[in-house]
Amino acid sequence: MIFQDYVFYALAAILLVAGLRVITARNPVHAALFLVLAFFTAAGIWLLLEAEFLAITLVLVYVGAVMVLFLFVVMMLDINLDKLREGFWDYAPLAGFVGVVMALEMASIVGVRHFGVNVTGTPEPHPVNYSNTAELGRQLYTDYVLPFELASVVLLVAIVAAIALTMRRRKDSKYIDPAEQVKVKRADRIRMVSMPAEKEMPENGEGEQA
Amino acid sequence: MLENYFPILLFILVGLGVGVAPIVLGKVVAPHRPDSEKNSPYECGFEAFEDARMKFDVRYYLVAILFILFDLEIAFLFPWAVVLKEIGLFGFVSMMVFLGILVVGFIYEWMKGALEWE
Amino acid sequence: MMDTLQQLFGPLWPVVWTLAKIVAIVAPIMGAVAYLTLAERKVIGYMQVRIGPNRVGYYGLLQPVADGLKLLFKEIILPTAANKFLFLLAPVLVLAPALAAWAVVPFDFDMVLANVDAGLLYILAMTSVGVYGVIIAGWASNSKYAFLGSLRSAAQIVSYEIAMGFALVGVLMAANSLNLGKIVMAQQGGFWEWYWLPLFPLFVVYFIAAVAETNRAPFDVAEGESEIVAGFHVEYSGMAFAVFFLAEYANMILVATLAALMFLGGWLSPVPFLPDGFPWLAIKVAGLLFLFLWFRATFPRYRYDQIMRLGWKVFIPVTLVWIVVIGAFMQTPLGYLFH
Repeated sequence: MIFQDYVFYALAAILLVAGLRVITARNPVHAALFLVLAFFTAAGIWLLLEAEFLAITLVLVYVGAVMVLFLFVVMMLDINLDKLREGFWDYAPLAGFVGVVMALEMASIVGVRHFGVNVTGTPEPHPVNYSNTAELGRQLYTDYVLPFELASVVLLVAIVAAIALTMRRRKDSKYIDPAEQVKVKRADRIRMVSMPAEKEMPENGEGEQA
Repeated sequence: MLENYFPILLFILVGLGVGVAPIVLGKVVAPHRPDSEKNSPYECGFEAFEDARMKFDVRYYLVAILFILFDLEIAFLFPWAVVLKEIGLFGFVSMMVFLGILVVGFIYEWMKGALEWE
Repeated sequence: MMDTLQQLFGPLWPVVWTLAKIVAIVAPIMGAVAYLTLAERKVIGYMQVRIGPNRVGYYGLLQPVADGLKLLFKEIILPTAANKFLFLLAPVLVLAPALAAWAVVPFDFDMVLANVDAGLLYILAMTSVGVYGVIIAGWASNSKYAFLGSLRSAAQIVSYEIAMGFALVGVLMAANSLNLGKIVMAQQGGFWEWYWLPLFPLFVVYFIAAVAETNRAPFDVAEGESEIVAGFHVEYSGMAFAVFFLAEYANMILVATLAALMFLGGWLSPVPFLPDGFPWLAIKVAGLLFLFLWFRATFPRYRYDQIMRLGWKVFIPVTLVWIVVIGAFMQTPLGYLFH
């Protein structure tokens, strides 16, 4: 075994443990954090496959962005664990059956032969100054331009959906529109009143001053 | 290529070590005399009313979702920016179409007031 | 001497040698962080017609040491309702990425620990991981102020990360590489060839976003002591707090260094008759860090809605427009303006 194999097995072991903990951790926040660890380790494995750009993008997008949203959601949910655990054993047989069927289905598709693992060799090690990112760029924006444009449509739909689902005006906020604030003119706030000068009252002694 | 990433792996480990070491050292060296008043969470002179983990404004989710979408956009822009000179006008136009569609989304969220923090 | 060492460690030699290099990077950064805190107090002191710390050592030069020792001997308080493990993990998660990002930062021509092609992408990924420490700190403390502060911090950090990312795209377009060393070498030719000129709007956006990203004044509402009692790290004390503090300043130095590398020509000399070299980079970084301190002494704090509006409604449109402008110019014979 060469050094990279050791790294692969170490990362794979961490990934499996983290993945297992995602579904067994009692606290949902812990589960989300284990998912972060799983993504991070998966990025390491992708890097071993010489997929430099994708590996770092996995950290950037999934760890740096998607999981932040997950954490926000999970932190707020305030899930009552005991209530959720009620009836676990009643549903266990059904859940087990569904799980087994899913596993069989997956195995029939992702079997070694169908997946082509035996055909695809190990990735070739690239020289030091090889640019994975540039290689990807040359392909993505020319040969694969249609899927690329479709991606933007998907993102557009996501923007609209996110706003449609979460936007709501709060009624209790005392928000002031900054544009209104800036637009205010002197005349809106100050009224000049012409007043005749008043005569000074005669002195009333010390009582006034105290 | 991979040999370049080995120092990074080591550096991440060292970074973790540099973070853990002072805390362990502090745990060992510093006194440890807890009492219930000292360890209660800060709350402006009151006893804490309730658990601090509460529901918060949905706006934070909206920011997080929009952040994901724009982060993806950046991930798409990076390889493009690196090879723009090679792929020339065609590559430029394909990215402009991509950005154009997303700018529609950006204008939509602007008009809807999703970027307003009230 | 090197040969004997090499024989002594045998196959472990690459690991030992790399570790030695890492220490040679981390130790000076830690020193710089310590003296940045002193510089901050001194600079702001003089700006406010005070003297600043001057009791410990000559001109207060030993002040950072005294501060460190004081924090070391303070109890690390674990709040009753806190999640103990995550509570102590959070500061580590803030500091580790802030340091790990330095692995790909070049200090001089070919003087870089890991000369990876996707260097800039790696740094962006590392800085985006730093936000976890903030979120976890707020949640694990189980304190309302910490929780609110961490939410605000996180939302602010992610908002400005987008503006920063877009600003970086402009740099990539001009330099055609994600490698920081290559980005610097693309700016050869003196002061007027550096990217601050053709990418001026992006430079401004990047630097201001960097101030917001590090939660520094005037964008420090999330940890404003007068509003939300220091925000996400209100429950931290002793060395646990010190690690947060180190991370904040390490991040400041990191973003200042990146700005110097990408927009101010890194280690390149501004004039042809002086040689290039690391001192130039140090001078540029020091100048940018001075700006950080100057901002803090000068500007009143932004309101939170103003911060979010600046990030989303000003910086993102500005950077997008400038990216299109650069791209369009590169399709014309005038493309040489952007190299």
